[in-house]
Amino acid sequence: MADSDISDNEPTTRTLLRRVLDTEAPRTPRRRQSTRAGVQRTPLGTPFSMRLRSQTKTTAGRQPHRARSIGRLAHIQTRGQLKEQTPRTLLENILLTAPESSMVMPESAVKPVPAPQVVQFSRRESSPGSLELQLPELNAPTTLAPGRLTSGRRKKRLRLSEFQQGMDQGLPLSQGPVTEPPGNTGASSLSSSLNLTFATPLLPQSVQRPGLARRPPTRRAVDVGIFLQDLQDTSVATALPGDRTPVATLPTDTVLEDTQPFSQPLIGRSPSVHHSLPYPSLSAERTVSRRTRSSGPGLQNNSPGKPAQLLAGKAEEVDALAMGFPNTSSSTSGEDGVEPLLGGVGEEVEERMEESMSLSEVKEAAGAQASARAEEPEAHTEVAEAEGSWGAIEEKEPEGSSRDKDTEGRTARPELASSTPEFPRARQLEFLEPAPPTSTAVLSSEPLEPLSARLPTRVQTARPRLRQDSYKMGLSHYAKLFSFYAKMPMEKKALEMVEKCLDKYFQRLCDDLDVFAAHAGRKTVRLEDLELLMRRQGLVTDRVSLHVLVEQHLPLEYRQLLIPCAFSGNTVFPAQ
Amino acid sequence: MAVAATISQRKRIKRKAPRGFLRRVFKRQKPHLRLEATCDLLVHLNCLLFIRRLAEEARTDACKTKCGIIKDQHVLAAAKVMLKKSRG
Repeated sequence: MADSDISDNEPTTRTLLRRVLDTEAPRTPRRRQSTRAGVQRTPLGTPFSMRLRSQTKTTAGRQPHRARSIGRLAHIQTRGQLKEQTPRTLLENILLTAPESSMVMPESAVKPVPAPQVVQFSRRESSPGSLELQLPELNAPTTLAPGRLTSGRRKKRLRLSEFQQGMDQGLPLSQGPVTEPPGNTGASSLSSSLNLTFATPLLPQSVQRPGLARRPPTRRAVDVGIFLQDLQDTSVATALPGDRTPVATLPTDTVLEDTQPFSQPLIGRSPSVHHSLPYPSLSAERTVSRRTRSSGPGLQNNSPGKPAQLLAGKAEEVDALAMGFPNTSSSTSGEDGVEPLLGGVGEEVEERMEESMSLSEVKEAAGAQASARAEEPEAHTEVAEAEGSWGAIEEKEPEGSSRDKDTEGRTARPELASSTPEFPRARQLEFLEPAPPTSTAVLSSEPLEPLSARLPTRVQTARPRLRQDSYKMGLSHYAKLFSFYAKMPMEKKALEMVEKCLDKYFQRLCDDLDVFAAHAGRKTVRLEDLELLMRRQGLVTDRVSLHVLVEQHLPLEYRQLLIPCAFSGNTVFPAQ
Repeated sequence: MAVAATISQRKRIKRKAPRGFLRRVFKRQKPHLRLEATCDLLVHLNCLLFIRRLAEEARTDACKTKCGIIKDQHVLAAAKVMLKKSRG
């Protein structure tokens, strides 16, 4: 039938039909409606009941219309039933039963929303819209089943409403975690209302199983000063093994041994300073002091290279750590003491130190040096106390070879004492001065005068020391081979003798090669020169050729380099 | 080349020759002279042979004196003989 068509064009057709119906409706006498409505109520039970139900759902404001609508509907129904399907009745039925248009009739849940819409829509129409009001209301329940077209929209609208509701609830939720850091009270309240708690559930767990409860790691504020001291101590301890006399004797020795001016005020401070240092630092200092003493008289040059490097490395590490830390007093003070003490040794270290002009870096190095040098806790603590800019001191002697000797420091101290006008520096110097003399006094080491004499010589002996080491290392390499070839236990003196022999042998070797090369008119020693040498030595004979010896005594890789061999592609290596 | 192949297979040479040490020693002794590329290996070979002979000589001396340990006097005596032999 035309239902589909009508349903498709419902907005227009419906309105038209309604208009038609409305226009015709006034013709019927109203009395009839009332009477008929009452008479016809029973047969129209079900539809009328539905209307009533729908009417009850509608707002109260429409009650005045309801009566009329009821009456009209009843009249219509009665007419429909009485009349045998007139076009009017058909259209009315269609309007009643046909699915609502898109613009109206959402779900029942949202009825109040669409209802006003429907009302509005109906009111748009010029007609009083009783029917219209009724129709959408009635159609709401009826059109639920057929109204699949609007189901999506209904769902969407539902979702919208729900979403809106959820949003209202969710907004505080979303705001909760965001605002929690800044303001926990509001968020917590909101979250609590929504049964969301951001608090860690530690308590319940702990109550149930205290053993499994995870406690937050207790973190203490890192004491930078102690950390730096420990760093220095460890570095010093690793670099310089050794032992030393107990520190307890140092303070007294400082008091007794100190012959420098401005030393008296230190006495009062020394005990206080002494207590502040931790014990491991003392041990480290002891080891450092001992090592320095042992190295002092004997070897001066060996230390500057190594300690300089170590100190530089430490300086960098410590510097990185202590950058920006206010508690750099220990490092700085140490540096102050060390720098002035170490004079002129370790040019390389000097360069490094100068490069790192930043006070912190220098302080670090000086601190490390001071720890290495100031074998006593006093010096260390004194250094820690003293603070100040070392511009002048740094430029003077940024040295890393602090370990070399206490004596050096002693000689340098008087120099520094005069040079440093600033009080803190003077204090540092004063602190440092008693430290080295005490150490030396304890060991009964050499007096001051020879130390000053050694200072200028130290620089000169620094370089040849390295050469001698490498040379000795090379000779010891061959000495080990000697002990292997001998297959008998050997004394250490015998090994030293072997090294001496090797030294002589090398000299002879070079001379012979020089002679052979000059005899051949060359300035470059070649293989034939060496072969001639070996022949003259009796190693290479007519029976035993050089290649045989190479094969017998040299590893394969060297043999490949020395003996020409033919390879694929018609090549010979090494090329002759 | 085969040399390259063998070098790639090489892992670690036992009893490496201190080539840098030998070159340095030669340069210190004779700065006006130049040493060829592979000559230091032969120098190393020469040293090995010298030490071998020295050790054998020292062992012989120690055994002559019926001493279980090689002492410095044995080494000294052996060195005298060897340096004379390897005069060139």
